[in-house]
Order: sequence, then structure tokens, then C-alpha cells
Amino acid sequence: MQIHIHPVLGEKFTEEVTFYFNNKPLKAKKGQTVAAALMANGIRNLGTSRKFLQPRGLYCATGRCMSCFVTINGVEHVLSCMTLVDEGMKVFPSNEDPDPGSEINGS
Amino acid sequence: MEADVLIVGAGPAGISAALTAEKFGAKVILIDESFSPGGQLRQQTQYFSNLPTGYAPDIGLKVIETLIKHLYASSVQVYTNHTMIGAYKNGMIGVTDGNKTFPILARANILAPGAQEEAKIFPGWTLPGVMTAGAAQILINRESVLPGKRAVMIGTNNFAFTVAKQLHDCGVTIEAFIEEKSQITCSDGILRDELKHVPVWTESTVQIAQGTGQVERVSVHTPEGRKEIDVDLICISNGFTPILEPFVIMDCELTYKKHLGGWVPLYNEKLQTTNPSCFIAGNAAGITDLGPILLTGEIAAISALEEIGILNSEEAEIERRKRWLELEKLENTAVCQARKNLIASSRSRQSPLTKSK
Repeated sequence: MQIHIHPVLGEKFTEEVTFYFNNKPLKAKKGQTVAAALMANGIRNLGTSRKFLQPRGLYCATGRCMSCFVTINGVEHVLSCMTLVDEGMKVFPSNEDPDPGSEINGS
Repeated sequence: MEADVLIVGAGPAGISAALTAEKFGAKVILIDESFSPGGQLRQQTQYFSNLPTGYAPDIGLKVIETLIKHLYASSVQVYTNHTMIGAYKNGMIGVTDGNKTFPILARANILAPGAQEEAKIFPGWTLPGVMTAGAAQILINRESVLPGKRAVMIGTNNFAFTVAKQLHDCGVTIEAFIEEKSQITCSDGILRDELKHVPVWTESTVQIAQGTGQVERVSVHTPEGRKEIDVDLICISNGFTPILEPFVIMDCELTYKKHLGGWVPLYNEKLQTTNPSCFIAGNAAGITDLGPILLTGEIAAISALEEIGILNSEEAEIERRKRWLELEKLENTAVCQARKNLIASSRSRQSPLTKSK
């Protein structure tokens, strides 16, 4: 859920953007990270662990724990807590091993 | 890319170091892996007093806003979205922006990566909805997003109470604090009083967090038996520990000091690590408060400039002394003593600051 009026900061973000998660359009505020934008829309499950196939989500929010990986605009294993959301951005959960040989992942 | 001083980490310590080095005439590059400078002060809405001379007491994010304004008005070259990922054989630091990777040649480096939160492991701790207290604080104060509606806080240290209070003010119901010790560890009486309506379960541990796809309830083992409670947010506040990777990459020796947060790079009174080209600042040099964090940035900058000859030894010694005296006044006694012990142990090393290969 978005905090529209923060008790200390008031209204922090004003500009709205539309992005996509699993092709579904969602609204976010410009200036928010992808992880926060998803959480604002009630989406906390960001991927599946490889070995035990358990759900994974935001844990540290500082780019260290690697729990919040998603696929953004085709690039796999992007830290959603360190990436700012952008108009038209296409986000998918991280459910599989990345393909490091693919052109978009920078071979 | 070349500079007199490269600073890694644009939190309060890194910015303080950058502005100090620039003031004394150095060409400075400051990098940070985040999309904006400010580090973890960007989401601190609590008030900070006890700051060094020249700083006005204010809420954390206002303190850093002012510093960032000075930073962008200075000649310091700031590169956000740039991560230190390695070192070249000749000692140059390798940096990437996610697309290109390149070396930065600096005559001295100041490493100020900050601290990380200690995890707390229990069955279900990896479920979405379980996060560090710091993550919850980022969500509410930096991102303006509610991480949940009903929460428990694991831990009762000062940071646990600080974040619990801020969550509460944003409308999150704090159902309980869960503390494995026999009493609350938060030393701030005002904060404790503000949250006195929240039950504190002492001598208690989380048995399991459960839910389908995300956390829905938590079972807690307490002296009165098992308590089960519906929550959608579990925050973990288990203390901070220095971030070490940049120091490991730069071949700096580490030592263990409990009161500084655990493993910490070894350094002398110049805040110089055992790699003579690398200086240290901020929470990486021992977990402490904002005042000492800002001062270690200044001390590291002065020493780095002495190392490369921009300041002479007499000037540097005077400037450093002034700041150490102020730091001693501002810093928690146990932390300050641990810092002195660490510096003393670096002095007694057989060949100080030149690591034998």
C-alpha cells in the first residue's frame, strides 16, 4: 500500500508511472524502487528459490541479500531494491536460473 | 579515470570525507552503488543531536540533505549506480555501472561501505514479509510504502524501537516485541515509553513463520508457552556489523572486536588500514553513532591527503588531533574504548602497516 501522506515527510512523490508485472499494468510513484513499487501493489512474492522452490521477497532492501531478484525488460537477476521503477518497465518474477549466455544478459 | 582520492561509499562518512578532502584541495571521486547518495541516512526520520561542530541537530534525512547539497556544489565528482567489484594487480580499484567495468586510479582510497544488518535465522525466515528492521524503515521513510499492517519486531535494541515507533506512526500495528534476553535492551527511555502499549515477550524465540507465498502467522516460544499470532510483517533487528568485502578485496587485515560490531578491518590512529593506500571511515570502522561517523570521514580524508603529500605531517597531525578529541566526546564509551584498543593493537604489530607477502 502506498503511504500518501507520511507523518513526517508529507507527500513525498507526486509523479505517477505505469509499469508491468507479469504483463499486468500497475501504478507506482516515480522515484520508488521496483521492489517498493511492487509492494505498494500488494506484490511481495518476487521469485522462487532454486533448490526448495520456496517463495522469495524483499529482505534487506540494500542490495546485499540477493533475495529480491527479478527480470526487468528482459534482463535476468536484477536487484529490484536497487533499481528505480520507470514508465513502461516490464517486470517478471525470478523463477529460474538466468541464462548468462544470452545476448541481453551481456555475453 | 584518475583522482587524488577515490572514496567508495557515499553515506555520511564518505560524503564527509569527500568534502574534507576537497576543501584541502584534492581532486576527489566519490562512488556509490545506490541510485542516490546519502546511504542509510536517507530514511532516518528520527532526530540526531550530538553532532560535530558545524552540524545543526536535525532529523537524519535533513542532515544528509544538507551534506548532499554541499557535495553537489563542490568539485567532487560523484558517480551513483557505480559498484566497486574488484582490484587490479597494480592496486587500482575496479568499478562497474552494470554495463561497463573500468579502473579508477587514485593515489589514496577511502573505503566507507558502512554496515549491514545481522540476520536472525528461524524456520520460515525467508518468506516474503520477513525483513530486516532497516528494510521496513526504507520502505516507509524512503519509498513511502507500507510493508504490512500487523507486525512483530524481533529484538528490542534501540534500532528495533526506533523503527517500531516509525512503523506505528505510519499506521502499522506492532503486535509484540520478541526478545530472547530476559529484558529489553533499548536504552532510550522516551522511546520505550512511547511504545509501552506494545507487549514485550522476553526470553522468547520465534519457532516458525508460516504462510502461503508470504508470511501470515508466527509462532513464538515464550516462558508462558507457545503463542501464535497473525501477522503480515516480521521485522528482524539483530544489530549491525561492518561491511568487509572492499577491505578483503584490498587485502586489508581484519580483527575481531565485539564492541565494534564483530570483524572489523585493523587500522591505526590515521584510520589507515594495513594496506597503506586504503583508509577507512564510518560504520565499517566500528558500529557507532552519526557524530563519530562524520568525524571518521574527516580524519580519514586528512590522513589520505597526508599520505599523498597534499597536507604535511604537522598540519595533518593538528587537524586529526582536533577531530579525535571531538570524537572521544561524542562517542559511546565502550565503543570508543574498543576503538582505542584496536588502534593500540595495530601499533604493537611487528611491522606496522606493511603486510608481509
